This record gives sequence, C-alpha cells and structure tokens, in this order.
Amino acid sequence: MSSYDVTLERVGGPTRTIGIDERETVLEAAQRAGTPLPYGCRTGACGTCVGRLLAVDGTASVDADAAEDGIDVADAFAYRREPRALKPRHRDDGYVLLCIATPETACRVAVGSQVQSELVDNPWK
Amino acid sequence: MSDANTGGSEAGSDHDHDHHTGPGYASPQAAIEEGEREQLAYVMSLYTGSDVDAPDFVSVVDLDPDSETYCEIVDRIEMPNRGDELHHFGWNACSSSCHMDGLERRHLIVPGQRSSRIHVIDTKDRRNPELVEVIEPEEVFEYDLSAPHTVHCVPDGQILISMLGDADGDLPGGFLELNDDFEIEGRWEPPGEIEMNYDYWYQPRQNVMVSTEWAAPKTYYPGFDLDDVEEGKYGRRLHFWDWENGTVEQTIDLGEEGLIPLEVRFLHTPESTHGFVGAALSSNMFHFWYDEGAGEYRAEKAIDFEARDHPDWEMPVPGLTTDILISMDDRYLFGSNWLHGELWMYDISDPANPRRADSLSVGGTFGEVQGVQGRELAAGPQMLQLSLDGERLYWTTSLFSTWDEQFYPEEGERGSVMLKADVDPRNGTLELDEDFLVDWGDCPAGPARAHEIRWPDGDCTSDVWQ
Repeated sequence: MSSYDVTLERVGGPTRTIGIDERETVLEAAQRAGTPLPYGCRTGACGTCVGRLLAVDGTASVDADAAEDGIDVADAFAYRREPRALKPRHRDDGYVLLCIATPETACRVAVGSQVQSELVDNPWK
Repeated sequence: MSDANTGGSEAGSDHDHDHHTGPGYASPQAAIEEGEREQLAYVMSLYTGSDVDAPDFVSVVDLDPDSETYCEIVDRIEMPNRGDELHHFGWNACSSSCHMDGLERRHLIVPGQRSSRIHVIDTKDRRNPELVEVIEPEEVFEYDLSAPHTVHCVPDGQILISMLGDADGDLPGGFLELNDDFEIEGRWEPPGEIEMNYDYWYQPRQNVMVSTEWAAPKTYYPGFDLDDVEEGKYGRRLHFWDWENGTVEQTIDLGEEGLIPLEVRFLHTPESTHGFVGAALSSNMFHFWYDEGAGEYRAEKAIDFEARDHPDWEMPVPGLTTDILISMDDRYLFGSNWLHGELWMYDISDPANPRRADSLSVGGTFGEVQGVQGRELAAGPQMLQLSLDGERLYWTTSLFSTWDEQFYPEEGERGSVMLKADVDPRNGTLELDEDFLVDWGDCPAGPARAHEIRWPDGDCTSDVWQ
C-alpha cells in the first residue's frame, strides 16, 4: 500500500498538500484532512467535484492551454468507476473527478468551484 | 367551480366533499376562498457547487407584512450532509387526499438533485420545522434510479417522485414511490416506459398523468452544452400516462420548437384536460388538451418568445423559459424568461388562445430593473409561486448551480434574492413591489442560492384535486 502527496491548489485560495492512500479518493482524503472540496453525487455523474491536473510528480506545471503537451490524468489517478460527467475533451484537458479518483503518484491539482465553472462556458457569449 | 356542478365523470358523480376531514381544500375555489394570506414560505437554499463548506438548507421566510421580521429568513433547516443540491420539493399529502382521514399535509419531502438523498421535514411547528427522516442515496440506487425531481402526493397517501436517471446517472429515469411511513415502496411504473424524465402532473378524474423530459443527469449536471442539444441528448417530448396502470398511452414529440420541455401544469379544475408546458430552450409555451373526437391528446405551440440580440452576446439570446405557473382560478398563466429577465402573465380563459396581459422586465440580461433597494440583481426571475388568491407573485433567481455559473456567475458570488410583484387579476397587471426583498447574500455561512418556493397550506404548483 502506498501513499502519495497530492497538492490541492484552490483557485484564488490556499494550497495544501495531503498524503493520500492509494485506496482513498481525493475527496475522502480531503475531508479527512479538513480541506473541504465541493462535491455532489459522489458517483462520478455530476462533475461538482472536478479538479484539473496541473503537474505529475516533479514535472513542470502546465496550464489548461498547454494540455496538448501531454499531461495525462491516467498517469496520476485511477478511477473507482466510470467518470461519466466528463466528456472526452474534458478528460483530454486534464480534468479529473476527485470523488472517484485515487492517486497513483504525487501530483498537483487545481480544485474548487472555479474549476467546475471552467468546464462548460456560456454557449451564447 | 365547485364539485356540485362539475359532475359528468364517474369519479365526480360520487365525489362528495361536504363532510371530509382530511387535509386540503375541497376544490381550487375553496382554496381561494378559505386559504389565508401566506405568512411563511419554505424555500430551497443551497451551497452545493460553491466553495462554502456548509450543507444546503430549507429557509423559512417571513411573509407577514405586519411582522418585525418581514422579508427575513427566520429559520434554516440544515441538511445532515453537504452536496445535495436541493432543488424541488413537495408535500406528503395535498388536496388530492382530502378523503383520507388521518392524513395531514404536514411533511415536506425534500430531495437532493445531485446526491439522490431524500429528506423528510416535519412542519408541525410552521416556523421551526424539523428534519425527521433521511433516505440515503444507496437505498435509492437499489431501484436503479437517481436524481429525484418532482414530488407529488398520490391520492392514497403515498408519494411519487420523478427520477431523472438510473443509478449511474444515465438514462432511463423513472418514478420512485414512497409509502406513508416515508419508506421506499419501489418503482411506480414498469421499467422501460420512458427514457428521459423531468416534471409531471396528474388529473386523477381523467385518469391521466403527463410527464416531460430534461436529459440524463450526466448530461445536465456539469452544465449546458449546445453540442448535447445537437446530439439529441436533451428532451422534446411529452408523455401521457394511464394514471392507474402507470403505463405510457401516448407520446407527443414537440419538435424543434419544443426543446427541453420542463415545467408542466394541468389546469387546477379537476375536470379539465387542458394544460401547458414550457419548452425552456425553444422558449415556447405549448398548450395541450384531450381531443375527444380523436380520442387522444394534442399539443400546439401557443406562445412564442423570440430570441433577442445583445451587444455582449455573440448569438441571439433565448428567453429560456424555466418556470411556469397557473393561478388557482385557472385564469392566468405566469412564466419566467430567466435569460431575458422577464416575468410574464397571459390570460388563458381560452387556453387555446392565450392573450398577453402584462409583463415585468426585471433582472437578467435585458431587465429594465437591475436592482431593488440598492441590491444589484445577478440573474433573471426563475422559480415562481403565487398566492392562492392570485394577488401576489413571488420568485427566486437561481436555476441550477452549474447552469447559474455559466449564465450568471455573479449569482454564486452575491447569492440569490426573492422578489415579489403585486398582481391585479381584475385588470391583468403586474407591478414590482420594491419594498419586498429577501436576500440570500447575507446568509451566515456565505451567499447561498435560492430555488423552489412552497406555502405551508398548499400552493399553485403542488396541489392536485382528486
């Protein structure tokens, strides 16, 4: 059994690193550590808990625009079940559902409601 | 109308209300005559989807103008968990149960849209209601259902909840039935009757129920995406059910002009087969009715709200008609165009030919009034509730946390408001009451969203007559 340091960077808020057991979801660990994250369904259907992977273990941080440079959520997290709330384009952009994601390496993740609001923008604007 | 002169159907001919002791009013007209002015409102209030670390709650709002706490949230019933996204709710018993001795219209059934958790609140003490039961999501998922939406009581004391998805947030949805001890009784309908689900209403004397379509939870939960519309993932159909058998008898495809049919209302008159449904995305009202000659239901577009150009928006902005409501006397249809910032009122004395009576331009993208008492409005009018006498129209401004974030991000930062218009039913006019403002921006844990509104003694969107 392994534990990984996952750094949660709240957009516009504090950054905190917590050790997460590989059998634990990020949401469960964050709650245990007293670092509240938004969440809803807890089953990967609603996307309320979504975070964005910023960097994997020692690699340089990237932003969403640089996602094509190859930051793959599968390098950092396993899913307990299908992440239904994410479309392929969201997965490609590094979005990760923290209620069902368990860590497989140390990484940095942008969290908080701001990340969710990036997911789908106003189609008329 | 009264029950004495509505005969004709078998159910009506032996339907004597003279000595009933159950809850509710004998008829819609009795509700108008006997109902007192609303003193309190219960309002769904939420933090889900925000960074406020607190559970959603039900607000008790003081609506008594003579009270020292008028326009204040005087009590908050907190849910035991975070993340529910409280959305729509309903009563354990309503006027449809008026022959059921021993039933009391007292318990509010309060589902979480995202969590699929179902709460029961006892409102015996109107100003200090109490949470008494919780059905956990896992119990709901056992029936391969999720995302509870509309709650109506069923005439024999049971409770029916429309469910928008399966246990995984996919389609199909269905209906979950609770018994009068607030335990899950099971699925109401045989599986496979429908794919998409949303709101529903029933007319027991006509043995009919009508249900509408939003989308799979996994489609609408994360936010609104036009690609999903193009891929046919959003609904546009009405389903007419055999109420006793729980089977779909007829489905009407409303087409492009009926995209995303959300709130659906039959007229309150229990004999009526007329009703309206608001197609939110197409921003049209459809009138539906039973065509005796053809032996089936028909639906026709009755009101069309045009999209409007705005300099800051790249494409014409649809009205997005998110809620509708019929006055208890069945004379007026009210609705909210959330994106435009418009409340409207149509005379539906002739339901096939609605006549525009008045409208109010408030909040939203185009509203002429953008603030009340110095409080800037972040969003347009959304969920509506009308006094039983039809003279006071109230509304809140939040739609759904993720959709709010897309269209009105300020709503999450400032919180919602509840506003009121005075209605003159005689002259068919609406006037904003600038003295009335309830502000969810001031909640102790931080700004909250406010959604559906209910009165303790039944209201225009939850009471059905048997």
